[in-house]
Amino acid sequence: MTLCYAPRFKYIAMLTFASMTLQGCLGSSNSTSGPAPAATPTASVSPQDALATTYPIKHVVVIYNENVSFDHYFATYPTATNPSGEQPFNAAAGTPAANNLVSANLLSNNPNFTNTLNGAGAANPFRLDISQVGTADQNHAYTAEQQAYDDVSGTALLDLFPKYTGSASAGGAGAFGTTGQVMGYFDGNTVTALWNYAQNFAMSDNAYTDTYGPSTPGALEVVSGQTNGLQLIATTKQPFTLAAYSYYINDNQGGFTLINDVDPAHDICSSATNQVMLSGKNIGDLLNAGSITWGGFMGGFNLSTVNDNGTTGCGRTTYSEVVRGEVNDYIQHHNWFQYFATTANPTHARPTSMAAVGYTTVPGSTTVDPANHEYDVNDFYAAVQAGNFPSVSYLKAPSYQDAHPGYSDPLDEQAFVTQVVNFLQQQPDWKNTVVIVTYDDSDGWYDHAFASTASPSLDSQADQLNGAGLCGTGTAPNGMNGKPVNGRCGPGTRIPMLVISPWAKINYISHVQVSQASVVRFIEDNWLAGARVGGGAFDATAGSIVDMFNFSGSGNAPVLYLDPTVGKVLSAPPASSTTPVAL
Amino acid sequence: MRGLKMVVILSGGAVMAWLIYTVLSSPVPLLAWLQHPESSWLLTQGENPHPTTLRLPPVKPLSAVALIGRKLFYDPELSGSGKLSCASCHNPQHSYAPVNALSVQRGGADIQQFGVRAVPTLTYLYRQGDFSIGPANEALEDVTLSDKLKHSKLVKVTRKTTLNTQISAANLVPQGGLFWDGRADTLQQQALGPLLNPLEMDAGSTKILADKLAYSVYIPELVQLFGPAVQVDRNLLLVEALFALSRFQIEDPSFHAFTSKYDAWLQGQARFTPAELSGYLVFNDPNKGNCAACHLDQPTRDRLPPLFTDSEYEALGVPRNPNIPANHDQHYDDLGVCGPYRTDLKNQTQYCGMFLTPTLRNAATRQAFFHNGAYHTLNQVLNFYALRDVAPQNIYPVDTHGKVDQYNDIPATLRANVDVSDAPFNRKLNDPPAFNAQDAADLIAFLRTLNDGYAGAH
Repeated sequence: MTLCYAPRFKYIAMLTFASMTLQGCLGSSNSTSGPAPAATPTASVSPQDALATTYPIKHVVVIYNENVSFDHYFATYPTATNPSGEQPFNAAAGTPAANNLVSANLLSNNPNFTNTLNGAGAANPFRLDISQVGTADQNHAYTAEQQAYDDVSGTALLDLFPKYTGSASAGGAGAFGTTGQVMGYFDGNTVTALWNYAQNFAMSDNAYTDTYGPSTPGALEVVSGQTNGLQLIATTKQPFTLAAYSYYINDNQGGFTLINDVDPAHDICSSATNQVMLSGKNIGDLLNAGSITWGGFMGGFNLSTVNDNGTTGCGRTTYSEVVRGEVNDYIQHHNWFQYFATTANPTHARPTSMAAVGYTTVPGSTTVDPANHEYDVNDFYAAVQAGNFPSVSYLKAPSYQDAHPGYSDPLDEQAFVTQVVNFLQQQPDWKNTVVIVTYDDSDGWYDHAFASTASPSLDSQADQLNGAGLCGTGTAPNGMNGKPVNGRCGPGTRIPMLVISPWAKINYISHVQVSQASVVRFIEDNWLAGARVGGGAFDATAGSIVDMFNFSGSGNAPVLYLDPTVGKVLSAPPASSTTPVAL
Repeated sequence: MRGLKMVVILSGGAVMAWLIYTVLSSPVPLLAWLQHPESSWLLTQGENPHPTTLRLPPVKPLSAVALIGRKLFYDPELSGSGKLSCASCHNPQHSYAPVNALSVQRGGADIQQFGVRAVPTLTYLYRQGDFSIGPANEALEDVTLSDKLKHSKLVKVTRKTTLNTQISAANLVPQGGLFWDGRADTLQQQALGPLLNPLEMDAGSTKILADKLAYSVYIPELVQLFGPAVQVDRNLLLVEALFALSRFQIEDPSFHAFTSKYDAWLQGQARFTPAELSGYLVFNDPNKGNCAACHLDQPTRDRLPPLFTDSEYEALGVPRNPNIPANHDQHYDDLGVCGPYRTDLKNQTQYCGMFLTPTLRNAATRQAFFHNGAYHTLNQVLNFYALRDVAPQNIYPVDTHGKVDQYNDIPATLRANVDVSDAPFNRKLNDPPAFNAQDAADLIAFLRTLNDGYAGAH
């Protein structure tokens, strides 16, 4: 907040960030990171900190990255190869074992190598080197993932990944050049930051997507626990068949369920031909009812930003070393809250001010803020810097940093995650903040763990886990109308989930089964006395992530500053980490 | 009062005269002076009017794989003779190009066999895309190569000048790939070519090569990086070694140094001499050199430094080089994209005679030019560009009847493929050349600014 005390800059700042400056200079500033020359820190408590919560957590920040299975990043955790010249990783003494390819003894004689149905792609798991971060995008469709898990015999064999979800890189060496690439995994020499966070905070080795399938179902589960209640606003597609791919099926109760990717309706960046909405509620509705501040913060959402390559609007791009070309910052079909009329901001309207971020109405007035809780990721940094840190924040990196194979990679992802965590650890409210890092789907990457199907689905085409038209047995979960609906088969694929907080257990691996909807449940349990979304949403049945916390302790897990480039531990915060921007 | 006015008028007149002199004596065109006087003034002083900060490849320590690749690159044991390594022809002191002026290099079992094409530099390939035909268009991702081939015969060719490279990029033209004919997509695939070529490193076969690797010093590190499978699967061992070679070339900054005077100039850290400036303007003049139409010289909008190639293919009609032993067979024709070394496009005769447009970075350090090394100095190269169509008798053989055998390295039936639409090749017999000897001298001065190792570089 040095802006306040430097008149020359203050004038400029007043023009551009008027409210931010005002709040920082005049208001109850609790954002006193960095030098604060003449400020007299006031003891006033922020609205977020004043709220009663079940746990000593006043801020949840969800970093929702893309397309990683647990074994893809943690197959050999905590043992890295440590080739000479690469960023070494050495585990702390007493690091607990994870359920991974080492503990399951699946690095050799893997069923994906021995099952000849995988053809030339048959492969054992193999280490992906830091020189191989530019992987191919694997197949992560709802049906293909079920087929890879191969539970036709009644025992999930997880032995057909190359055949059903594998994708090759042209000209790649060995398995990398075949569908066997799906068996590749990184270790702590590449995903160094996440391994370091796991060493110093808590991680789950038993977290799953709520259903099989790609990004949009995953985006919906982490805010609403529900993919039923699909409304087709514009479509060129029929319900999914094995012969004709689609993003939805009939739910068998006269409605539709979303199973694959499609754009949110009315978003001015969306495809004109295929658009959908969801009829259910999401966590944003519940937080609004409780007057709790929250926001969805997405890379590329502010359409007025002009990147330094001159691009702006829906076509705003950033150069990516992965593709050696430009990648769009905003991806509509990842935008959680945009699928619900009550929480959408289809025109990408800007918030009235940084002080209004998180609020339905502009603070101190009855004016409805046009942003409706939907912001750019840079607004998150700006609002927090201005002393306005919402209770609940969902963050999505600009796509080149979201980890999605094909246009992003683990190193760009590392830069984003460390940027957010390094920044938050320097905020006065780090003491009551938790950052949850998890993923929308597995990308189809091999993972050896299977959670028995708790939520069956019996669509004759889309469901194939246990044979044609079968994913699990028994009654399908209830949908929006309170009757069993198809298309929600799960748990799906295993994904990483890390909890980074002073309240996290240190170097701890939780084996409690959780899912994406467990994030929704945690928010509800903390602020809303355990209220649930309802309408058959998975938050009602999802496991609790509290096993990763030590709420009976004093919240003293030390801060951990990491180098954004190589992920190694730093003794002090990196330069400019108090003023991040997404580009 | 009147005296003062006189002084003002006189001095005003002097300033005006000086301004007119400056404008007229400047190599910057008059129109540019009228439209952008300030930029023109800076340019006349040799400065870049619009300096930028280039987005250079990230400099990091070499990965473990790249370190293995570096050792392999210098390892003569991989060759049949035991005497040639990659570096024998791709010398790091010569921008990873040959040290000598031979049109083609020696190799083979006794290192007395001659190759068939000039050895290109291995530098500035880090952004080279896969070989494809057509515009790089996301929307066409699902279209196959053969679909595009069908389409390409229907598309009329747009005249290509420095002013409309965007438009011509929409044509369906071969682009990307490695080797003069683009037959390899990745540096990993490319590496196997010279290794197995009996006229080059002559390693014998993939089996012999893999067996050599299996008993090499690289085994412990390769096993650590890629697992015990490389000891069992010799093919995997070989491809991982080739992968290591490619990572060395991608990661080591010496393959894309960007330390030329031109890079410094682009970033506002150097001034052109008058000759370099004149050459730069001829290079970009669509009616003179028109060089920048294919040898792109401006940073991209993402501030990536220009590579001085559009990575497309052109049939230029360079004269046949009798110094290549293979050319002694009059029935042998090297037709680039349509063969004989590339075999998948041999029926696509519209691409016969086309070769990849090379980077011009460090070209001024080379001593053999074009795919067949027909020329040995830049002056000869520019002479070819200036005179090919206006005075072909100076370029091609003339028979006893005085008939010029124009485009004599391409069979008569395929000579229509030669580019005759883009300046400086858009001229008729006896027309004045697109640029003169002074322009050529200036162009060479400019081309020398593309050599890496500029003393004033950052």
